[in-house]
Amino acid sequence: MDLLNVVKNISPEPVVAALILVPMLAGVLAYLFRTRMARKTIVIGTAWILTVASLLLFVMGAMSQPHPGEDIFVPKYWNTIITVADFALMTAFLCIAVMRKNILIGILALAQLLPMAWLEFGASRPEEVTPSLYMDWLTIVMVLIVSIVGSIIAVYALPYMKEHENHLALKVSKRPRFFMILLLFLGAMNGLSLSNNLLWLCFFWEVTTMCSFLMIGHDGTEIARKNAERALWMNLLGGVGFVAGILLINQANIGLSVRGILQLAADKDPRVALLILPMACFCFAGFTKAAQMPFQTWLLGAMVAPTPVSALLHSSTMVKAGVYLVVRFAPVYQHTVLTHMVAMVGAFSFVTGAMLAIGQTDAKKLLAYSTISNLGLIIACAGINTPLALAGAVMLIIFHAISKGLLFMGVGVVDHSIHSRDIEDMQGLWSRMPLTTLLMIIGILSMLMPPFGVLIAKLAALEASAQEPLAMVLLVIGSTMTVVFWTKWMGRMLTVEPTAKRHHFEHLHSMYFGPLILLTTGAVIFSLFVGPILQFLVIPAVKEYYNVSAIAGVDGVLNAPWLLVCGVFALALVVPFIWYKTRASEVTGAYMCGEEVSGAPEVSFRTVGETSSELKLRSYYFEKVVGERMHVKWITTVATLLIVILFGAVCLWK
Amino acid sequence: MPVEIKDLPIILLTIILAPLVGGFLFGVDRRITARMQGRMGPPIAQPFYDAIKLFSKGRMVSNQFQMVSVCVYLASIILSLVMLMTGQDLLVLLFTLALGHVLLILGAFSVKSPYSQIGAQREVLQLLAYEPLLVFMVVATYMKTDSFMTSSIFTLHSPLLLTMPVFFLTQIIVMAIKLHKSPFDISASHHAHQELVRGIYTEFSGPQLAVIEVAHWYELILLMGFVALLWQTNLVIGSMLALLALFLVIILDNISARLTWRWMLRFTWTVGIGLSVLNLAVLYILK
Repeated sequence: MDLLNVVKNISPEPVVAALILVPMLAGVLAYLFRTRMARKTIVIGTAWILTVASLLLFVMGAMSQPHPGEDIFVPKYWNTIITVADFALMTAFLCIAVMRKNILIGILALAQLLPMAWLEFGASRPEEVTPSLYMDWLTIVMVLIVSIVGSIIAVYALPYMKEHENHLALKVSKRPRFFMILLLFLGAMNGLSLSNNLLWLCFFWEVTTMCSFLMIGHDGTEIARKNAERALWMNLLGGVGFVAGILLINQANIGLSVRGILQLAADKDPRVALLILPMACFCFAGFTKAAQMPFQTWLLGAMVAPTPVSALLHSSTMVKAGVYLVVRFAPVYQHTVLTHMVAMVGAFSFVTGAMLAIGQTDAKKLLAYSTISNLGLIIACAGINTPLALAGAVMLIIFHAISKGLLFMGVGVVDHSIHSRDIEDMQGLWSRMPLTTLLMIIGILSMLMPPFGVLIAKLAALEASAQEPLAMVLLVIGSTMTVVFWTKWMGRMLTVEPTAKRHHFEHLHSMYFGPLILLTTGAVIFSLFVGPILQFLVIPAVKEYYNVSAIAGVDGVLNAPWLLVCGVFALALVVPFIWYKTRASEVTGAYMCGEEVSGAPEVSFRTVGETSSELKLRSYYFEKVVGERMHVKWITTVATLLIVILFGAVCLWK
Repeated sequence: MPVEIKDLPIILLTIILAPLVGGFLFGVDRRITARMQGRMGPPIAQPFYDAIKLFSKGRMVSNQFQMVSVCVYLASIILSLVMLMTGQDLLVLLFTLALGHVLLILGAFSVKSPYSQIGAQREVLQLLAYEPLLVFMVVATYMKTDSFMTSSIFTLHSPLLLTMPVFFLTQIIVMAIKLHKSPFDISASHHAHQELVRGIYTEFSGPQLAVIEVAHWYELILLMGFVALLWQTNLVIGSMLALLALFLVIILDNISARLTWRWMLRFTWTVGIGLSVLNLAVLYILK
């Protein structure tokens, strides 16, 4: 109890400062102190600070139930600092455009810079927003994910980047720069989640865009540069949408405060009608950052970056900024035409992302498509816009971050061991790297099977989607497709010759093993305790959001016989080892109609010409059915049309 | 709703009776099929003799994971059936069922064997073909009851079939695919003399195969249970409906040839999903 009292007396300001400023400062330090030991100390230290600070924030939120809603006092001069930094950032974008001779980036950067200048120095200067930062439950969820999952990935990056550079044989290490951006990004994400002032939110949003650009181009190859530029212009396009939204809100004489806007919606103020177009602009910005179709190409291109980047920026955290924005304002556009369109855009990305994932042989690209698909599901939930759907969305944000972070890191470890990310090359990984394979299979199962969290979230989404029948049909179809590509991938890894020598668990670097095992445990434990997670994190967030006292339908999800499911499956996993422990003398080779060649080093069979041929197996990828080449064009067209219709409908809607 | 102690008798009854009835029905199936082909056929109890023989066979295994996979497969099907009998959430039930199926597929994948691998690949496609049809039926019941609970279906006063006729047809398709009956016996066939040997089951033998057989008995009852739900007001009529569905599947099996997975997917995803969505649309408008 004493400890609780101590926590009670801590004011949120230093905690928030630790969450935003410490990683940024640490980033600069990591750049300045270029030795390996210094970097290790800085990164691990920051990871601890972030973890403790985010947990403190959570405890503080939990103690001021039901509404944390605490103002965070920020000195006034920070407004000036952020404004200056914002303009510096946009000028930097312009410089990039000039250096890379990319007109598109230049135009988009100007399209942000000029309106912002007009807003800042023009006639209709917005009122000062107080507080600039504040926290509610959604914020706390985001901060926890960014600070804990993000830190875990940052620690994993330490040995990974060393091996990465050994492999590239660089003369001068680029790691100081790498970790600077990585840590800077963590601070920016926390800032983004905690911002109440839309101008601040916009600034942090652009910082993540910049980080993403720098990280994708990190290796400096031709393809990396090209993909980085594409990511930049697509995200800047979203940024233009963001700025347009801010301008429109200001034009309507509504303050630029997130909380203020949500309050208007809660009070059913008639001015909410004026907010629909700006909300559409924000959703558009969210779609670009969350790589929804037709903006999926930048996320796929981002897979050229080193794996920790993919894990951190492009799967578990940065893309969550996009869905965060869409989810953040969901109550504002509830019961409008916009919400139906948002549901459609999300559901469309969910189903097409899952379909294209079936055809991928590159593990990272498969994960990228799966990310697009899952983000689509979160956005569809925001569009369905009922308390239950939002609960599903928040759960997905949490569980997807954990599982996807784990899977990306697993692929990274495998990549450094077998020097390939091709799923076909992972055939029989179970006999070569049993530990990594086991963790990855738990990761995959946690993405699609009961009683894991992602599935429970999906269940909530499906229950809620009955309000939105068209979206529901897409969700059903997409869920089935999801099972296909995961199952095929697991199947490849498990394919082992019966007579292959048994390997013991391989040795992993402690900073590989630690992060992997932490996220695996997280995925398992959180799924076992999905009830408390819902109770303490998700339900408060949603209740606060829609101003309701109970969430219809959530009991059905919670009270399904999960314990029985867990118990029976645990039993089914134990029984075979007691009843049917395989003895070496009982192991036989695969049945091959008597045509197998005994004594060959690999599994081989006799051909028609009585010669011996090695047995080679491959998975189905259905290139002619779900190949990218066949589908990307129409998907892009339909998705673009959906967004055009979205804006058309919003403009016409009264 | 959690499973409670008062459900215990019905759970035990399900676990004990379902395989007896399921095995018996498979025996009848073999008899009818034989008669249709002008043969005498085996005794009705043949499935039980087969299982006993398989259980007593010596062990020939490829790896430990195979046994794990078949045990989870059996557990998931029993669990699904128990959920159906105790009136649980139908979506949770379907996901539980899918988990077992995926594990069985992984068990087949776990051996580097040409036949079992192709069988496993095709089984994934079978899953892709029938899963949406099952989920759409569950969604349709949601349209009627505003709940995914099996128990809430029994509060309706008119049989589901009257407003959901399409789902009787799709359930026949699902049953044919799940039981590997022609024309859907793509990943493994009951008939001898074909290119896949025993497809997905090739590398399972002895006790492992016996567990799979027992799982199939439970699965048959589960599938027939889904059909019986369509006449929930009078379960005697519902059971007749389920038997009719099984009989139609047997006829289908005997009058059609094995087709390709391309045909199967095209058929279930156009005709099956198309009809399901149409029926859903009607339900939505009527609501």
